[in-house]
Amino acid sequence: MGKAIVITSGKGGVGKTTSTANIGAALAQQGHSVVLVDADIGLRNLDVVMGLENRIVFHLIDVLKGKCSLQKAVIKDRRIDGLFLLPSSQVDEKDAVNEEQMLHLVTQLKKSYDYVIIDCPAGIEQGFRNAIAGADEAVIVATPEISSIRDADRVAGLLAAADIPTRLIVNRISAAMVKRGDMLSKEDVIDILALDLLGAVPLDDAIIASTNKGVPATLEGTSPAAMAYEVVARRLNGEVVDDVNSNVGFFARIGRAIGLSPAA
Amino acid sequence: MQQVWNDIKGLITGRRASKEVAKGRLHLVLAHDRTGLDGAKLQEMRDEITAVIAKYVSIDAEAVDIQIERVSRESTELRVSSPVRNHNTLS
Repeated sequence: MGKAIVITSGKGGVGKTTSTANIGAALAQQGHSVVLVDADIGLRNLDVVMGLENRIVFHLIDVLKGKCSLQKAVIKDRRIDGLFLLPSSQVDEKDAVNEEQMLHLVTQLKKSYDYVIIDCPAGIEQGFRNAIAGADEAVIVATPEISSIRDADRVAGLLAAADIPTRLIVNRISAAMVKRGDMLSKEDVIDILALDLLGAVPLDDAIIASTNKGVPATLEGTSPAAMAYEVVARRLNGEVVDDVNSNVGFFARIGRAIGLSPAA
Repeated sequence: MQQVWNDIKGLITGRRASKEVAKGRLHLVLAHDRTGLDGAKLQEMRDEITAVIAKYVSIDAEAVDIQIERVSRESTELRVSSPVRNHNTLS
């Protein structure tokens, strides 16, 4: 039985879909079978970020309406073994879905895949409730900005009320701005939201280029953001991994390696 | 270390790092958000609390101040402050 993880944020445009695509691709690269579910009904985007838009025949709503089998709607990513996508509908049929149906769908998928990664729509209405219905865990994506953090806090409260364990990805961190004191650091964001950190992803031009091409950065190479997402994927899988861009000094690293100082 | 340096820089230039401003604003906004009270309800509560205090002691209704502060994810503190006019100075 696999594990279902919902990627959410409250606010739109902070990198939910990009995070879903990259975490999914990284998990597949690490040898797991993964299905990505686009739960943003009416505003689908995971397909274009993944570069699979030309392959869609059936979608999530077709499955729920019984127009096709679940297997038929799931697209296999041919670039890598073990990566699949269940696309959303581009027509606004939000009311066609309820929480029970989503729970059933996700439970079905968990039988066939190690990981079911659900890309949640922005907002906290029915679309959000549908997306979290079958989730065992949640990941909140927040950028170090007031509006994003405020919405993340709201969503964290709703997830806590739904008893879903939640961790945080701080996205688009600019090291230079943090250094100047003009951007909240990942520590600041963790402190304010009181959530456990799953990963810190740096602001990285490679993400925009990879979205342009429809190739998730983690499939393409070793850009800073791609490496951060690989760390995120390993942590989701229960591994204990250090941050890539940790600014720990040379001697502290050695001390940690030989067990003199505690791991950060 | 970076934090200390930013603080010193702030003292010298008289400019507060914008992230400190953001932190302060977020603490306030989140504290209010977490109570689930909107502006109108908060005003209503303030008026009622003011009326209760005024029933027992002499106060300036305009000076009653309500502050909501987040203590942790689980708890938020509501603080009401109200200067009381001393009884013995009233004519």
